[in-house]
Parts: sequence; structure tokens; C-alpha cells
Amino acid sequence: MKANSSSRKLLSLLLLICGAVLFVYALILDFSRSGAKYRGAFLILGIVAIIAGLYFFPTLKYHRRIIYIIFLFPLLFTFAVTVIIPLCLGIYYSFTDWTGIQFTKFVGFENYTTMFSDPQFIWSILITFIFVVLNMVLVNVIAFLLALLCTNGIKGDGFFRAAYFLPNLIGGIVLGYIWQFVFNNVLINITKTSMLVQTKTAMIAIIVVYIWQYAGYIMLIYITGLTQIPGDVLEAAQIDGANPSQTLFQIKIPMIASTFTICTFLTLTSAFKQFDVNLALTGGTGSAQFMGKYLTSGTQMLALNIYNTAVSKNNYALGQAKAVLFFIILACVSLIQVRISNSKEVEL
Amino acid sequence: MKKSLLTLLVAGVVAAGLSTGAYADGESLRLVNGKIEVDAALKEAAAKYEEETGVHVEIESMGGGVNIQDELKKQYQGTGMPDIFVCGSDADFGNWDGLLADMSDCAWAADTDAGYVGTDGLVGFPYTTEAIGLAYNADILEKAGVDPASITGPESMRAAFETIDAQKEDLGLTAVIGWCCEAQNLYWSTGSHSFANYIDAGLDRDDTTYSDLLADGGQIDHDRFLHYAEMIALFNEYADTDSGFLTSGTYDQQILGFASGKYAFVTQGSWIGATMTTDDAAQYEEAGNFKVGMIPYAFEEGIDTILTNSPSWWAVFQNDNTDAAKAFLDWLATDEGQEILVMKGGFISPFKSCSFVAEDPFAETISEYTAAGKTSSWHWLKNKSGLDQNATGQLYLDYALGSIPDAEGFTQAMTSVIADYYAS
Repeated sequence: MKANSSSRKLLSLLLLICGAVLFVYALILDFSRSGAKYRGAFLILGIVAIIAGLYFFPTLKYHRRIIYIIFLFPLLFTFAVTVIIPLCLGIYYSFTDWTGIQFTKFVGFENYTTMFSDPQFIWSILITFIFVVLNMVLVNVIAFLLALLCTNGIKGDGFFRAAYFLPNLIGGIVLGYIWQFVFNNVLINITKTSMLVQTKTAMIAIIVVYIWQYAGYIMLIYITGLTQIPGDVLEAAQIDGANPSQTLFQIKIPMIASTFTICTFLTLTSAFKQFDVNLALTGGTGSAQFMGKYLTSGTQMLALNIYNTAVSKNNYALGQAKAVLFFIILACVSLIQVRISNSKEVEL
Repeated sequence: MKKSLLTLLVAGVVAAGLSTGAYADGESLRLVNGKIEVDAALKEAAAKYEEETGVHVEIESMGGGVNIQDELKKQYQGTGMPDIFVCGSDADFGNWDGLLADMSDCAWAADTDAGYVGTDGLVGFPYTTEAIGLAYNADILEKAGVDPASITGPESMRAAFETIDAQKEDLGLTAVIGWCCEAQNLYWSTGSHSFANYIDAGLDRDDTTYSDLLADGGQIDHDRFLHYAEMIALFNEYADTDSGFLTSGTYDQQILGFASGKYAFVTQGSWIGATMTTDDAAQYEEAGNFKVGMIPYAFEEGIDTILTNSPSWWAVFQNDNTDAAKAFLDWLATDEGQEILVMKGGFISPFKSCSFVAEDPFAETISEYTAAGKTSSWHWLKNKSGLDQNATGQLYLDYALGSIPDAEGFTQAMTSVIADYYAS
């Protein structure tokens, strides 16, 4: 036992040291922009050796904890690579004059001050907020009505559920182009000029398309909520003589308050991040007079503004700074919204 | 058992790591092309080159709304830069400062003036010539009794438009001019190509008066632009407004309309020739494979040039393959390469030694203007990145919609919007 333990300890230490050396060496190679092709293999070998070393480490006290970490590792690693590292890099780049290829100097908060002196950006924030509020209300109301309709036991409700949900299965870009065709080639016979060419009507068009895309999805969640209300409660209400509207407002809605939380949260964040329909349907075109300036991207919402700043205006650092602000706004709004909804649920 | 499983796992991971780390290299080049319509011709040239020299050239064509510079940046971050790639403007080349190979020692360099010279030397290989001018359907003009050579200024242009408009029904026209101001997908046509005439029309190839003015804080010459704006008003008046095409048409509709003889004029450049003879060939034939030509956008009396240039260039990335990439471009500029590019791809060769002439409907008119020395340059390539998409394109739409009422209003809106855009 003793000999076994010491040999394991030796093996473990050896693996740990080898792994660490390989890992660090691979990182150094990478950061020094070396073209060595074996660096990827070194990195993986290093990580595997470290994991093996940890696994063989002769300890009873921490063994369980080590195993937990090893099992969590794939998830943590993926999360770090796809979320944490890009987030940190993004914040870092927002303080430089990064071009998407390289940067020459740090500019401090210059990108942040520039973006607030740009009327177009402020306009984008403004219309995004309006869009979010309108959508949060409209999508939820329409989805809830559709859900009531589809749980009323009407004939063929399965068909209606599927039909209402279908638009959500089509990607936003495709959907945007389909509707662009509808507005520019079909509805134009009624409207004379396309709805998409004037800012106001184009915004209405975006909202209509977005509701068409999203209401079906939210409806499904409401349906799940509504069907989970216990039958005996409804039956008791019926026996007590509650009419349909009383049943709806006094029983059904309070019973699915948590569903409302989820749905408002989903519509809020997804409306804020609206990008694909905006890009495909209007591309941000439209004009507006705002803060004494003639704006030429009247329907450009926040996400599209960020994308355009980086890609079309070729200003990656400024786009990155806007993205950081976008992240902060979204995080704050979501937190406040969840807080408020949660406290409501307790009251009910 | 447990141990053997673990060993297997480790071995598997290592093998996977090693196999991703090792990739084939050697005599293989990658070219990112920005003209998807010549993809087939380029692949044919690449195959021939491989046959002769054994060097494989992979052609990767991008188009259809892809922002190529953005795509290249992603490839750069992912360590997979192509050896040759397309760059279309000063801003594009600016992205790659210090990373491109100087090609002034290449054989083709002495054979053309159309190469792109940047801060790192001669960094752009020109591969074709394109022209911006007011394209016309010669058959219709003849039937209507309008001589294209008579259009030399605003009055004669208006007179010609009126003459044709009066016979619209007899000639089977939808509108006199195929002019579209849609801002989402066609902003480049109005905001860059049409705007280019304000910058360059009628000027010598090296005259940068108006592009310099623009570069200096986005200034616009009021008088010249006002005259230009009056011409745009004429276009708006005689465009296809009934079907909504003027404000929400598409590029495809525009070319198809011209190819099928529905417009006497169209505001697209020579590049539509390729589409007219391929995708729209059936309609073009039905319309009688009519002769086409180009007249200058004569918004002031005496403007007598069309704008010709290499629309974009191929740049060589500095890496281990630089010499091989240069050799490939050298070969493309020789008769063998040019034969494929010109005859199959419809390119109008920028090389003096090239004797091939494409069967493109516009090839003849371009060579006539070039031979007569009546061409101006494309200084709009110096415009600030995204000017058309984010600023000017929308104003053309507003002007067409009537929300900007007159030429003076258009000029003022343009002046303030461009100044704001350059300031931000």
C-alpha cells in the first residue's frame, strides 16, 4: 500500500509537472505568434497530463473534489473559451484603436465618449427601447390570447398550435426577406409606395413581422402554463358560479404568474437583441430629423448599429465599445425585470 | 479495466490533437475572389496553371452581400489568411498596411497603369476594367430618333428623355430610364456609383479636385453638386414610379428590365453585360440582342467622359507562399491566363499587351472611349468606409420619394450628412 501510494504520488507529480510545462510552453509559442504546428498538440497533451496527474494524486480528503473538477472541466473550458475570454477581450479592445486586425495604441475612454456624441447612436438606443416596450406588450397579449384560443377545446387546436408556431421555425433572415418581398411586391398594390421606405411605416413593419415570428413561440409557453392549472380548482370555481372572465382574471392568470415572468423576460431580452429581421427587412434604412441632424439610418436598432459600426464603417474598436454598453444595458434591464416579476409572484 | 479505458481516452485525445495540428502545406495557394460571376473562369485558369506548373490554386469566391473585408479579418484572426485576396478601396488596403507584398518587381507591373499603389508599394494586381456611364439601348434610341452623340448636356438630355417618353407605348417601354433608389440593397449603385459622377465626370484621370474636397472634412462643391442634383431630378421624373420600382426595386429587376428592352437607359455600369448574356440571355435574345452603348452623365455642358477603372485588385499576403502567389499572378497576366480571363470571364483586360477582346456587349464602347482618351478615374474609391450604405444611399431614396423636395434641398442635405459622416 505504502509503495503503491508513493509510486502514485511520483507518477502524479511527474504528470502534473510535465503537463504544466507543456501547457505553458504551448501558450508562450502561441502568444509569440510562432508558426510551430505542434503547439496545439502540446496544449492538449499538457491539459490531459494535468488532468491525469490530478486524478492519480494520492489523497483521500480532496479526491472527491478533484473528481468533481475533472468532470466539470469540459463545461468550464467551453464556457471560458466561448464566453469569458471573448468578453474580456472585447472589453480590452474597446479601450484601443483596434481595426479587427491589429491595434496601435490605447485610447482610454475615447470610444465611449465618441459614441455618446453621435446622434445616430442615441437614436438607435431610443427606437430600440420603444421597440422593446411595444413588443413586450404586444407579443405577450397576442400570444396569451392565442394560447387561450388553443386551450379552449376548439376543433383542430393541434393544427392551430402548429400553424401559429411554424413562423418561429423559419430563421429571422429568411423571414425578413420573405416579408420584404411581401411588402415590396404584394402589399405595394394597396400601399402604393412600399411600407419599408418610410421610417415610421418601416418600424411598424418590423414590429408586425417580429410578432408574427415570436408570438407562436410564447404562445406555446402559455399553453403549457394554462394546461398545468389543476382541473379541480377550475371545477370548484365553476361550482361556485364564477363566470368565464372571473375564472380568467381571478384563477387562471394568478395561477400562471411564473409563466408571465418567463415570457416577459424572454420577449424583453430577445426584442433588445433584435438583429436578423432588422437586417433583412430594412437593413436600418430610413431617415429622421433628430437633435438637429439629418439621420440616414432611421430604422437601425442597437444590435444592427453595433454591427454596422464595426463591419460597414470599419470601426471595430468603437463597435466593441458600443457592444460593451449593450451588454451592460441588457444585464441591468434583465436583472431589474426579474426582480420586479419575482416580487410580484410572492405577493400573489 | 479502468486504467485501460483512461489510456484509450488519453490516446484518442492526443491523436485528435495531433491530427488537427498537422495540415498539408507546400505547393498550394488560396485566392479569395470577390466577383462570384467569374468563379468558373477563375477555376478554369487555376486548373490550367496546375496542369502546367503543378501548383494547386484554390479559388474561393465570395459575393452576394458578404462583407469580404470582414470575412478576411475573421480568417486572419483564425490564422487562415488566403495568399491572394481582393481589396476594393483605399480603406480596404489601409486595413492591411504592412502586411501586403510589394509587386513592383513582377513582370506584369510594366504592362499596365492600373495597379494599386499603396504605402507598401505596388500592392494591387488589376484584373479587369469596368466603366460607369449612362448605358443605353441603341435600338430604342434609333427607333425614337435620338442620336446618343447629341446628348452633351442637361438640356439635350432632357430633350432626349422627353422625345422618348412621348413614344413610350410605341417603343414598348416601361419607363425611359431604369433608375432605382432603393436604399437597403442598392445603396452602392446610387450612393457610390452615381455619386462618383459628381466627383469625377468630365475631369482628367489625375484630377482629384472633388475627392480632395471630400477628404477634407467631407465638403461638397455646391454649384457642381446642384447641377448633378438637377440631373437626378430628371431621372426621378422619368423613372418607373407606377410599380414602385424607383423606390423599392431590386438589382435583378433593373438588369432584367434593361435586357428585355423595357428601358431606353439604365444607370448601371458595364458589369451588367455579363448578366445580360448569361442569366438574362433568353430575355435579351427576345429583345433582339440589341446593341448597347454608353453616354457620359452630362449634368453640365461639356462633360464628355465615362468613368473607367479597375473596380478592385488582388493583393498578395506576405507569407511563405508570397513568391508562388506572385508567380501565379504573373502567369495570369500572360496571354495564356488572359485568354481564359477575357474570353471566359468576360474581363476587359487592363494589360497593354493583351490582344483578346471579350464578347461583352459593352467592350466596344469602353475601348472607343479609352482610345479617344475620354475617360475619368474612380476617385470615389477614396470615400470614407461605408459612406454609401450609412449616409448617401438613403438621401437618394428620400429625394426620389419627394421627402427632399428639390435639387437645392438635396444638395444641402447631402452637404450636411456627408460632413457629419466625415466628422464622426
